[in-house]
Amino acid sequence: MSHEHAAATTAHGHAHDDHAHEDHGIKEYMKVFYALCFLTLLTVGAAAMPFPEALGHWKDTLHVTVGVIIAVIKVVAVMYIFMHLKFDHPLLRLVVYIPVALFIIMVFGLNFLETWDYTYITR
Amino acid sequence: MSSALNLAHEPISKIPHGKMVMWVFLASELMFFSGFFGAFIVLRNSNYPIFGHGSSELNIPLALLNTFLLIGSSLTMALSIYNLRLQRRGNAKLFLGLTLVGAFGFLVVKTIEYSTKFEHHLAPGQSEHTTFFSFYFLMTGFHALHVICGIIPMLYIFMKMYSKSGYDHPVKLEVLGLYWHFVDLMWIFIFPALYLMIPFHGPSGH
Repeated sequence: MSHEHAAATTAHGHAHDDHAHEDHGIKEYMKVFYALCFLTLLTVGAAAMPFPEALGHWKDTLHVTVGVIIAVIKVVAVMYIFMHLKFDHPLLRLVVYIPVALFIIMVFGLNFLETWDYTYITR
Repeated sequence: MSSALNLAHEPISKIPHGKMVMWVFLASELMFFSGFFGAFIVLRNSNYPIFGHGSSELNIPLALLNTFLLIGSSLTMALSIYNLRLQRRGNAKLFLGLTLVGAFGFLVVKTIEYSTKFEHHLAPGQSEHTTFFSFYFLMTGFHALHVICGIIPMLYIFMKMYSKSGYDHPVKLEVLGLYWHFVDLMWIFIFPALYLMIPFHGPSGH
């Protein structure tokens, strides 16, 4: 067996025998696929949904926030299952978490700051 | 002596080097796209009418089709890696082929989308161009470029799978898979940001 194959099995982590892991893997991939399809349609639905006008500028923020939250759920699902983060070494997960967290904080932060500014400072 | 040398390939953390480096590269890619998203959010928040109007010109059904193509090709890529790891070469070949079909399908749909934008004079330098379309072409353009960059190594591996010796490097395919899933991840953010500004489509805006 090639050297790489050995590395792949160890990288995969869990001590399941091949067969048990096999069925589990495909089922999990399919579940994530269906979830991604559903969440995509949900994002479109949420974007088309009219939120109450009484919210003022926070209505826009709410729309964007819902969209971003759904996107983050999709991203986490892809990273954990498709990108095998679930089975990876904690050190690797740490390398991934930091930039992704910074990105999400930036997206949320800029959205809220702007609305905050609009609502309370420049009104 | 040789065993001592071989240890270099088995780091204590058991993370294959290629995988670690790919993740670090993807982190830098995320920062690259972060700049676009940051600028997009700031400019959009102070120009909702322009951005909303621009977004209303985009074709949501086509973008949805593209989303499903990318999600599907992400799935087939994961299945291809999975099958190659279990030494099922036929299945691995089939699923990598399907991934390529998804990737090319994405580019075809993108071409159709872009040509409509040119027909409607929305491209940079044309009469109906707005800031929104600068972002549209910048973000989807760089994303499409990433798709093309993913297709090249995929084609290489796919052709290798048809060669006499076959292809037996599941870790390498997994590293390519990480990149391919990242392309999908960026689309997951681009799609709602650019296409789904439905509440702001009205002429009044804010």
